[in-house]
Order: sequence, then structure tokens, then C-alpha cells
Amino acid sequence: MILCIEQTLLKSTRKTTEKPSDYQHSESPSHGHWLWGIAIPLLLTLIDWPFREILTTSNILMFYLLGVFFVAIRFGFWPSILASLTNAAAFAYFFAPPIFSFAIAEPENLAGLAVTMVVGTVTSKLAENVRHQARVAEQRERRASVLYRLSKELAEARLETEIIEIGVHHLYAEFGGRNTFLFPDRNGLVCYPNEPPLDISLQGADLGMARRVFNHGQMESNSIDTFSNEKALYMPLTGSTGTIGVLVLESVNPRRIFLPEQRQFLGAFINQISHALERASLAEQAKDATLKMQAETLRNSLLSSISHDLRTPLAAIVCAASTLETDRGYLNEDRKRKLASAISEEAQRMSDLTIKILEMARLEAGEVVLNRQWCAPEEVVGSALRRLDKKLKGRQVNVSMPDGQALVYVDAVLLQQVIVNLLDNADKYSPSGLPIDISVETTPFGLSIAVADRGLGIPEDLQEKIFDKFFRIHTESAQSGVGLGLPICRAIVEAHSGEIHTTNRSIGGAVFQLHLPVLEAAPTIDSEEKG
Amino acid sequence: MKTTGPLLLLIEDDPQLRPLLTTALESQDYTVLAVTGGREGLTAARNRQPGLLILDLGLPDIDGQEVIRRLRTWSELPIIVLSARDQENDITQALDNGADDYLTKPFSTAELMSRIKALLRRVAKLPGGGAQECFQVDELKIELTRRRVFVGEQEVHLTPTEFRLLSVLVRNAGFVVTHRQLLEKVWGASYIEHSHYLRIYMGQLRHKIESDPARPHYLLTEAGVGYRLNTGEN
Repeated sequence: MILCIEQTLLKSTRKTTEKPSDYQHSESPSHGHWLWGIAIPLLLTLIDWPFREILTTSNILMFYLLGVFFVAIRFGFWPSILASLTNAAAFAYFFAPPIFSFAIAEPENLAGLAVTMVVGTVTSKLAENVRHQARVAEQRERRASVLYRLSKELAEARLETEIIEIGVHHLYAEFGGRNTFLFPDRNGLVCYPNEPPLDISLQGADLGMARRVFNHGQMESNSIDTFSNEKALYMPLTGSTGTIGVLVLESVNPRRIFLPEQRQFLGAFINQISHALERASLAEQAKDATLKMQAETLRNSLLSSISHDLRTPLAAIVCAASTLETDRGYLNEDRKRKLASAISEEAQRMSDLTIKILEMARLEAGEVVLNRQWCAPEEVVGSALRRLDKKLKGRQVNVSMPDGQALVYVDAVLLQQVIVNLLDNADKYSPSGLPIDISVETTPFGLSIAVADRGLGIPEDLQEKIFDKFFRIHTESAQSGVGLGLPICRAIVEAHSGEIHTTNRSIGGAVFQLHLPVLEAAPTIDSEEKG
Repeated sequence: MKTTGPLLLLIEDDPQLRPLLTTALESQDYTVLAVTGGREGLTAARNRQPGLLILDLGLPDIDGQEVIRRLRTWSELPIIVLSARDQENDITQALDNGADDYLTKPFSTAELMSRIKALLRRVAKLPGGGAQECFQVDELKIELTRRRVFVGEQEVHLTPTEFRLLSVLVRNAGFVVTHRQLLEKVWGASYIEHSHYLRIYMGQLRHKIESDPARPHYLLTEAGVGYRLNTGEN
């Protein structure tokens, strides 16, 4: 039977909808069993006949009794009664004098036969009980193993849809009826599921009835719909906090489902599924809560980061400006100029920060539509280097670009931003005398850019985190920045369907490497006058 | 007040920035006429004949782009556009509409002054025949009529298209020329969408002229907007 379930499972995953075979519940013996009830006594008669001179009649009765036991154990109670009767007839006719007559002359034979029949009947009954109990035990074991399989599969399932699919398959395999799970929508009204139905899903369940069952928490049965006579059971799925949904099960064989043992079994099924569903929904809630908490932490770190990073330059500006404002001629020209240049520098710093924050917000809001154009990596790198001309003055920047003129289809302005941010970081976080290496490679598969510095590198456990918003390894370091440079890089690279990561160099320092896939072959031009 | 310089028209709606810019410009001996709206600005441009227009793109009454378009129907008045950042499209559009140069906010007054000076100098040169025969910056020397290009003592051989591209930039030396303008002037109006031509030829040109094409000194990229030939002034 277990084998049969497995087959059904396999088949149902292959989307065939073969009904599982019914297993035997009926206690009534088949024709074959009755036949054995006659055949065994006749066989014993044949065996005993040659020895009728040697054996006493009581010995022969013993042999017959043995036959009855055998029939009782193998073929059940009623065939053994038949065997008893056949024994009596055969004994009276062939062995009890007068032979070849059903009359029995000697009273001891009559008594022996009577005792044999009584003993036969009693032992048959006992054997029958043993058989029944064995069958019940076997059934229980089978059910336990079916439940075990169900619970094992449910335990592995994480998503509600997976749980439902497992539930539908197991219920179908076990109870033979198509079935479906209905859940309440946001308004608390039970409705049809959004997912496409499985082959063995029950369709067209009565929503009104499902809603009633959901509200009252009581099982009901009804015809599946007005067009068919098939009955369906509507059962509430009860979780720890109340009804969480409704199971609708087509009752192919109502007797089978309504037997107390089967009802219990079905109850156990539903319990397991309900608990799994509840567990999944709790896990989902916990995940939501974690996400909310993360968002909250992020908002807090944004606020603290922004307030720190914007207030500092603002303080300098306000201070310098008010000094100039209230000056009554104490400041000489040189002092005044210093104050003015402090204002201008700090304002520039604020402007950079604001631009970064706005850019991140724009990228996050998904407002950025890539303006992809064919352009040469050489040009993008060149314009990035020029933007940082002042900053990188006095630092050696090695550019390795074997195929810098090969066109790539990217948003040049955004890609330039990525390179600027990476170079800016490399400059900030590596000692000023040491070189920065840029290497660009264009292959048929895409564009790879690596920016490497000779700084301290990034601890391995932070190499992923460093791309998170507002994350900084040293939060209160002298380096200005809100921790948005790398998140912006990642957002831009990902908008190009590319990837970016960082590793440490063997000679010390960090490498930031990005790869953008090539989507189209570069266009060609009419080679009018290549010279 | 003693003001001898040319008249500058400033169209800027921001009440903080307008007086600040006016002060800054006046401190450099320019006469400044500051107005808040586009219509007012257009009227002033017609009536007062300014030497240069500084135009903020975000105006309350009519769009800055529209001001440029209308002005260009009857005037060659040089225009510098002021724009908030992150608006490469706006800048490109303004330049394509006929603006001469742009600055993104925030900018330093020094930067604005150098742009104004460069633009006024260019305008001053134009009426004198316009035939600037020879262009030279650092090692690069271009003789337009003889179609010869030198880097140091070495003559560089350019293809006709490369030379056309370079000469368009020379004629606008120091100013941004948009991708669209270059494509139109070098290849023709039907090539405006074929920006890869421009990228490929610009790459070739750089490899012939620049000592390090990855860090160009002469042919500068204005990302997302166009190219600018360095005049060694900025």
C-alpha cells in the first residue's frame, strides 16, 4: 500500500491523474476462501483414508481439527465453519462406523465429533480475532508512516504554496478525492486561490458554504456544485488562533471517510497541514518584522549620518560667514580670504554629499532610466579621471586598457559616476604616495573594470557589507562621506544587469571589480577612409 | 557707480542668487541687468541689446529652453545656461537649442567669470572675418585652411572625417559641442542618431593627437553632453 502511495505521488508530480487503488476494507471472504473451506477437509479425508485401519477415529478427528485451524487462520471464520461442517459430514460418512453412511453408531464418536466442532468454532473465532488485530495494527502502522511522510514533507516546505501542494497530493493519494484549500482574502472573506490549480485540485467549490464553514468552524458536506451529484466535505483548518482556512475534499467513498478511524486519520492530516500553514505564515510575519526593523535601523542611520555629515560643514560655513559679517575691521585681507575659502570648500563638500544622497534616492526609487549609448570605455575612464583631476594630483594612476576603443552599450554618465566613486574611495582609503591601478577589459562577454589601491584592504567579513547604504568601516573617521559611494556604484551596476564585488590584493590593498554583460554586438561603421 | 564693461543680462528667479550674482558680476566691472522671468528677459534682450545672457533654466513663467528657442529666432546673443545638476538632458537640449555654454549649480564665481570672458572674446573675434587660420594650444597646432595638424614638430595625418571633426571643435574651441551638433556638422543631419560614429572617430582622433588617450589633454569629454577642445584656459 505504501508502494501504491508512492506511485501515486510520482504520477501526480508527472501530472497524470490516475485514481489511487482502493485498499481492502471488506471482511467478507471471497469464493476462493469458501472453496478452500471444502477442499481442505476433502484433502484430509483422502490422506486419512489409507490409514483408516491404523488410526483411531479420535486421531482422525484431530487431523480434521488441524484442517479447521488452518482454514481459520488463512481464510477466516466463516470458511472455517464450512470446513467444520464438511469435516463432520466426511467423518460420519467415511470413518465413523457404519462406513459409507452418515449415521454414527458409536456414542464416543458422536461425542468426539461434537467436541471437535465446538473446539473448531472457538479456535476459529480466536484466530479470526488475531487476524483482525494484525490487520488493524498493520493499518495503524501504515497510517503512521503516511502521516510521517506527510509531516516530513511539510517540515521541508517553507512556502504556503508548497505546503498546499503537498497537502493536496497527500489527501488525494490517501482519500482518493480531488481537493482544494481555500483561504480568506484581505477582507477576511474566503475566496478562490490565485495560483493555477493542480490537475488534482478540486475546482468549483461552493464559496458560500466554505465561508459558512470558515465562520463557524464546523465541518459540513454538500454537493460540489449544482451540476453534479458528487458530494464534497468542507472542513475547517484550525490553527492555534482560530480557523485559518477551509479544506474542500471530494468524497469519492463517503463510507470510507465517515468511518471513525478514517475520520481521525483525516483529522490528523488536516491538523498537520494547518500547523504547517500556520508555521509558514508566522515565519513570513517574522521576516516582515525583521525587514521593518532593518528599514527602521537604516532610517536611523540615515538620519544620524546625514545630520552629522551635513551639520559639520554647515557649522563651519555659519561660523566663517558670521565672523565676516560681524567684522569691524579687525580681520586683515589674508584672514578674510581664508574664511571665505573655508566657506566655499565646506559648501562644496555639502554639495557633494547632497548630490550623492539625491542620486541614491533617485536610483532607489527606480526613477533612473538608463540612457544607454555606444561608447568607448577609454572615454568613460578618461572623463572620470578628469573629474578627479584636482584630487588625484600627485598620485600615480596606472591605466591598463588593451582594448579601450571597443564600444560598449552603457549609460556613460552613470558608468563614469561608478568609476569616479571607486577612484575617490581608492584615493581616500590608501596612503597618498601609493599608486592606484585601473584595468579595463572588453571581451565578447562584457566589460570588466577593476580599480585597485594599496591601502589596508577590506576585512573579509565586511566585503559584502561595504556595499550597504550608510555603512562605513570606521564610522567616525576623518574621511568625509556618508557611505553612499559604493551603494550608488552597486545600484548603477545592477541597473546594467552587472555585478560588482571587492577582494583584497596579495600585495595589500583592495580591488573593486565590476562586470557588465554585453547585450548586443557593437555596431559597425562604413569604413570610408580609415587611415 | 562707474561701470565700463559690456551689459550682461541675467535671468534668474532665485531671490538669493540673483543679487549675489549681480554683486559678483558688478565687482568685475560688468553692467548687470537682472530680471526674474523669461518674458521680461526676452523684452530686455530686445530693448537693451545686452552683450551676453546668463540664463537659469528653471524659470517661473516660461521654460528656459523656450527662452533660448525664441531668442535664437532673431538674435545671436551669446548665452550661458545655469542648471541644477543631474540634468544632462536639459543641458544637451539647451546647447542644441543654441545656448553657447553651461554651468551646473553650484558653481564658483571664478568659473562663471572665465566662461563669460571666453565667450565675449569669441564674439569679439567673429566679426573680423571669422577666418581663424591657425589654432594652437600647448603642443597641438592646427592650420585650418591648409588642413594640417601638428603635435610638437611632428605632423599628424588625419582622414578627411577626422579633420572635419577636429575643425568643428576648433571653431568652437573652449566650448562644448554636443554630440548632436557634431554628428550633424561632420556627417550630416541623417546621422544624428548614429552616435557610435562619433565615438569611434573621437577615439581614433585621440589616439593620433593625445599622448595618453585614456587621459586626454586636448579633446575633453563632457559626459552625456558632448566634447570640448581644451584652450588651456581652464
